[in-house]
Amino acid sequence: MATARSGGSLTELARYGFSDLSGTVAKLDQLVSLVGDSGRAAVASLAKTANPDQALNALLALGESDRSRVKKLLSKSDSADRLCLVLGASSALVDFLRRHPQQLQLFEKPVAHLDHQDKVLDRMRVALSPVLTQVVNKKIAEPDLAFDSASCWNLIRKEYRSELLRVAIFDLSATSATAALPVVAAALSDIAGAAIECGIDLARVELAQTKEYGSFEAHEVAATEFTVIAMGKCGARELNYISDVDVIFVAGSARPDFEPARAVEIGTKLANRMMRAMDGTSTEPMLWQVDPNLRPEGKSGALVRTLDSHIAYYERWAESWEFQALLKARHLAGTKTLGEAYVSALNPKVWLSAKRDNFVESVQKMRQRVTDNIPAAEVDRQIKLGPGGLRDVEFTVQLLQLVHGRTDETVRQRDTLGAIDALRDGGYIGRGEAQSFSDNYRFLRVLEHRIQLSELRRTHLMPTSEDALRSLGRSVNTSFTAESLISEWERVKTEVRGLHQKLFYRPLLSAVAKLDDVSMALSDSQAIDRLGAIGFTDPKGALSHIAALTSGLSRRAAIQRQLLPVLLEWFARGTDPDAALLAFRRLSEDLGESPWYLRMLRDASGAAERMTQVLSNSRLATSLFERIPEAAAWFERTEDLVPMTMDELTAEFSAINDRHSEAESASSAVRAVRRRETLRVAMGAVLGDLNLEQIAQALSQLNETYIRAILQTVRTTSEYRAGGLRLANAVDFAVIAMGRSGGGEMGFGSDADVMFVYQPMPGVDPQIAQQAAERIVTELRDLSRDQLLEFELDLDLRPEGKNGPVVRSLESYRAYYDRWSDSWESQALLRAKPIAGSQALMDAFESLIDQHRYPAQVEQKVILEIRRIKARVETERLPQGADPKRHLKLGRGSLSDVEWLVQLLQLQHGREYPSIRTPKTLPALEACVEAGLIAEHDANVLAASWTLCSRVRSASVLWANKRTDVLPVDRKQLDGIARILEYPPYSASVLEQDYLAQTRRARAVFERLFFGWETKPTED
Amino acid sequence: MDKQRDFVLRTIEERGVKFIRLWFTDVAGTLKSVAIAPAEAEGAFAEGLGFDGSSIEGLARTYEADMLAMPDPSTFQILPWRGEIDPTARMFCDITTPDGQPAAADPRNVLRRALNKASEKGFSFYIHPEIEFYLLKSPNFENGGPVPVDNAGYFDNVPGGTAHDFRRRAVGMLEQLGISVEFSHHEGGPGQNEIDLRYADALTMADNIMTFRTVIKEVAIEQGVYATFMPKPFTEHPGSGMHTHLSLFEGDTNAFYDASDPYHLSKTAKHFIAGLLRHASEITAVTNQYVNSYKRLWGGGEAPSFVCWGHNNRSALIRVPLYKPNKGQSTRVEYRAIDSAANPYLAYSLLLAAGMKGIEEEYVLPPETEDNVWDLNDAERRAMGIQPLPQSLDHAIRKLEESELVAETLGEEVYSYVLANKRREWSDYRRQVTNYELQQNLGTL
Repeated sequence: MATARSGGSLTELARYGFSDLSGTVAKLDQLVSLVGDSGRAAVASLAKTANPDQALNALLALGESDRSRVKKLLSKSDSADRLCLVLGASSALVDFLRRHPQQLQLFEKPVAHLDHQDKVLDRMRVALSPVLTQVVNKKIAEPDLAFDSASCWNLIRKEYRSELLRVAIFDLSATSATAALPVVAAALSDIAGAAIECGIDLARVELAQTKEYGSFEAHEVAATEFTVIAMGKCGARELNYISDVDVIFVAGSARPDFEPARAVEIGTKLANRMMRAMDGTSTEPMLWQVDPNLRPEGKSGALVRTLDSHIAYYERWAESWEFQALLKARHLAGTKTLGEAYVSALNPKVWLSAKRDNFVESVQKMRQRVTDNIPAAEVDRQIKLGPGGLRDVEFTVQLLQLVHGRTDETVRQRDTLGAIDALRDGGYIGRGEAQSFSDNYRFLRVLEHRIQLSELRRTHLMPTSEDALRSLGRSVNTSFTAESLISEWERVKTEVRGLHQKLFYRPLLSAVAKLDDVSMALSDSQAIDRLGAIGFTDPKGALSHIAALTSGLSRRAAIQRQLLPVLLEWFARGTDPDAALLAFRRLSEDLGESPWYLRMLRDASGAAERMTQVLSNSRLATSLFERIPEAAAWFERTEDLVPMTMDELTAEFSAINDRHSEAESASSAVRAVRRRETLRVAMGAVLGDLNLEQIAQALSQLNETYIRAILQTVRTTSEYRAGGLRLANAVDFAVIAMGRSGGGEMGFGSDADVMFVYQPMPGVDPQIAQQAAERIVTELRDLSRDQLLEFELDLDLRPEGKNGPVVRSLESYRAYYDRWSDSWESQALLRAKPIAGSQALMDAFESLIDQHRYPAQVEQKVILEIRRIKARVETERLPQGADPKRHLKLGRGSLSDVEWLVQLLQLQHGREYPSIRTPKTLPALEACVEAGLIAEHDANVLAASWTLCSRVRSASVLWANKRTDVLPVDRKQLDGIARILEYPPYSASVLEQDYLAQTRRARAVFERLFFGWETKPTED
Repeated sequence: MDKQRDFVLRTIEERGVKFIRLWFTDVAGTLKSVAIAPAEAEGAFAEGLGFDGSSIEGLARTYEADMLAMPDPSTFQILPWRGEIDPTARMFCDITTPDGQPAAADPRNVLRRALNKASEKGFSFYIHPEIEFYLLKSPNFENGGPVPVDNAGYFDNVPGGTAHDFRRRAVGMLEQLGISVEFSHHEGGPGQNEIDLRYADALTMADNIMTFRTVIKEVAIEQGVYATFMPKPFTEHPGSGMHTHLSLFEGDTNAFYDASDPYHLSKTAKHFIAGLLRHASEITAVTNQYVNSYKRLWGGGEAPSFVCWGHNNRSALIRVPLYKPNKGQSTRVEYRAIDSAANPYLAYSLLLAAGMKGIEEEYVLPPETEDNVWDLNDAERRAMGIQPLPQSLDHAIRKLEESELVAETLGEEVYSYVLANKRREWSDYRRQVTNYELQQNLGTL
């Protein structure tokens, strides 16, 4: 402990905490010359302060201006301590004391307790009243001069800061800052309330005595009831030294003959003038912002409302988070009866809101708001926001309050610390956790307080300079250095970050498993409440999965006990947490003992999170996982989710065909590769790594190489002999992709549309050749068919459709197309693309169809025929009872509308503009714009609709693992699809509206361009 | 809400209510009603009342037929015309899907959505309608058309007349139902009456209008006459409009009022009016939804057939009542096209949306039209840039087809239902051989 001996050696000064050592010697001498020997003794007090250098400089400066008072204070060690503590901790309060040296008197006596708001208010009013009288008299004497508001503002602010000084003395001299925290935070709320009350006093006088803010009669002002409701931290009586004071204003008429509307008008002026008293520019600096933005309708809403109007708003319009904000509302200042009426009318509504159907949704949104609000920069220095910050604590507490406060009134506390205690007493969090949660919260708050106190600035950032960190550390505890402060802070942050998990999710396990680190067990019903609140629709089932995953002594169970809390949180973010948890259980049973799996879950947390995302958002991926559990390994490395290239696929397929000589074993290996690679693309799609174009390319390439591989299998393994010849020796055979697969535009669940063509080998009898080709088709279809991940070659687009032969020779095609050359059927050929077989045959076929799909001239009668057929198809092909507005393929303005229009343009102009000859819809549309065949705006409308329909189709297969051609009506289905399309959660209606609007616009363009209908009404 | 629910359940007990009618409105604007027994009320509050939505016009697509009616306890009222024997009460309902989502096609929900959107901008929407209707001797009519109950005219006091008693009785009942009446008088046509309702927020008012129509019909039955809200029952007499006064409030302050403007109209008001004007044609198929509506709009007299505004111009689509000193709170604009047969939920949603669009995009208000527009010739009107409203339902449908504003406000489902429904009506109408044709042609051709 420092002694009061002398300013002595520099080492000694360093030990006391000074940093400017040689300067200090001279300054101490100067102090002694100012105040005598007590100046020397002051070293002991200075050594206890956050910043001894700052405190010493301040002593000198104050000593210059008020020597006797400083001398008196330094003469006693306890008053000297108080003075130095404040001077060392707050440069802003030093400035205040230099402006108002007479306030040094406040250091004379210890501050043993802090007064409540009414007592503080009494003191402030006593000081304010003479000044106010004087200003009013001056105004009456000289009505032409402006009302001197500034003098009153200065006085209110000076009085507020004197009260703040009292709080600071109490705070800084407390034996334990963390223990004193709740008292300090409550006192800060009280003095803010008192200042606001004085601001209202002043505002009433301003309005009644002057015409500067509108012409109001004194009796009107008197008949206006006006009250300020505190929200947020002030409402909870846990305010910081400096922060915005969140409020809501209510006005009303005190007399039946006085119009409420007029009262609101006056109330609005009162609110404005009061706020200016707090934050207007004047010689005594502003206090803080009064923030009224939590009011109904937020920033754009009326500043002041009547009580009825508030109630009506909350009854009718308010959103869930606004009810949650009401949790903290209390009367702060102004007309007391009105304030209390407000609180008693609205407080019960908080808990009613928790009974609403969309409670889960609003809880999720609340979480979203919290994470969204973290600014990317500064995140490392944030005490409040950011991982492990104060907001984490407050949010966790509020969430638990909302979940359990529905049924348990005891946890409905306004302030954070009170709520933690209540949650502990109610058995919702363990004693140990409650203690560390409370300790950590207090620690972070003290840090925040000390930082703010220093310059009385609203900040939640850790300082960066070494000196500032050192002072901050000393202000919390004189033994702290900059490093030890930071390391303590890091420890607390880490613990807080874990606590959300530990308090909310971890106890869910305690209901069904014995946990070493949780000192209490939730009851089943408490756990079910909590699981339900985060979105599990079958919380009981979920509990049984949790039990299965965590029971036992295996390494797997041990790891899962650690992991499950965080996994549960991630599952809850998806569309279908129940299915995801079940899938995880299955996966875990398959893979549980594989070391790599457990390692991946434990170490690569990114991987585990990605896995939960896939499991809870895609049933297609989930069902493929059951077959291919080892694919879980791909989550670990993003490169593993990149689709295989055409070459890689081809190589793998050829290797399989080389290895196997049996049709069954070869094809089953080929099918397995297709499933595996589809899963890879599906995972990439759900995780958002792949866009529509990449998905289409990957799936189309997979489709193409798959068909090629199976064809190869047939050629090499078939034992069939046609006229004694092996199939490969009887015919040259090729596969032509049609429709979306021809266009390379496949999505999940797209049909594999194909046609087949052959050419007899030289000298082979045509009939034998036909027989051989048909046999190839049969085997190709059989071997490629897959029930596990649906695959079926679809031949419906072949000439003559279902009635035509399944395969034709090149000559037969030539004859057919020559005969029908003016038929609409050549339209289907626009998206034909040979994909498997000999290059010569593929080329020959392509040049054959080119003559037909890009004819020299299209007769008007052909165009009319195509239009008529389209009109007919629209009504006939649509399934019975389907809503055309929601049919993704044949519906109003959906895929087939866009495709038919593009194909009509290609048919008409393909010969003239080779650039538009492509089987791909969007590139064709773009080329048509460039060729001037369609207006750019129209093309954009069509492309937007086509893209959306394609994405919805693909997404619905991914989400539901079911092929559907209809936009679902079920909200949950829509929500699942919307999430895969990267809409924010709960956007079912938004997706539906977007879809219906896009297709409606596309339909209007289509009707105009395809049918030539003019929908524009004739103008009068 | 819980308090209100408890109040309802208590009142049902105390007053010995025997039936509770659950009311809601279909897309066409027809009131639908389901009666439940008092014992079922509590369950209806908790879980809603299930019904088959596909049987209600435009309410549900066939494959999602199951709907729930969720009673709104704040609308609970005992129906006065049922008397003390077997007291009957009613509540309006919100329609939801079985998973608790508001039904896209519930007109009440459409209006709620529009109001919410305005509320996000800080506005609440208030309404005060002047509802006209005819009292007839009976719903039956001969070749000469329907027969009115009297032959009086505007503001006439008919001694001992049916109309007088009728209005007294009707106003009394409305007041008992908590609907304040501002004014009531005899209108221009024989048997034609007008009752003005005191302003209220738009959702309450739309509910009130639905109630009003029921009350008027019930009182008529009680008095042995027949009341009709048909827009134009007589060729030679004025039609029944529902001139509607609109105002926006920011909290408790009228947002249309600005003391410093020569007209005492705020910028907000001017943009709002400009929005109404610009979108008037495309919303007409909803504000004037029947073939017959256009007989009123183009029947001359005071019908507002042209898209323009003025202060005391009774031929203008929009009238801005002159400012009265110290009445800033009552600044408002009057939209005169809408008729008494409109679906108030949808019509008010669209009026609000059109006005809000004007505010959002800061449309410029064209100059006031001071002339009587009916006295101008076509060329003059064209020169002044005054457009006519649609002249027939067909014309209105075409305007509607092009409207993104209506599609967005009603939602795609309701929008396409309204279109389909109106197209059907027009095509049915077009097939009719009318009296007019017979009279003009049969004798000579």
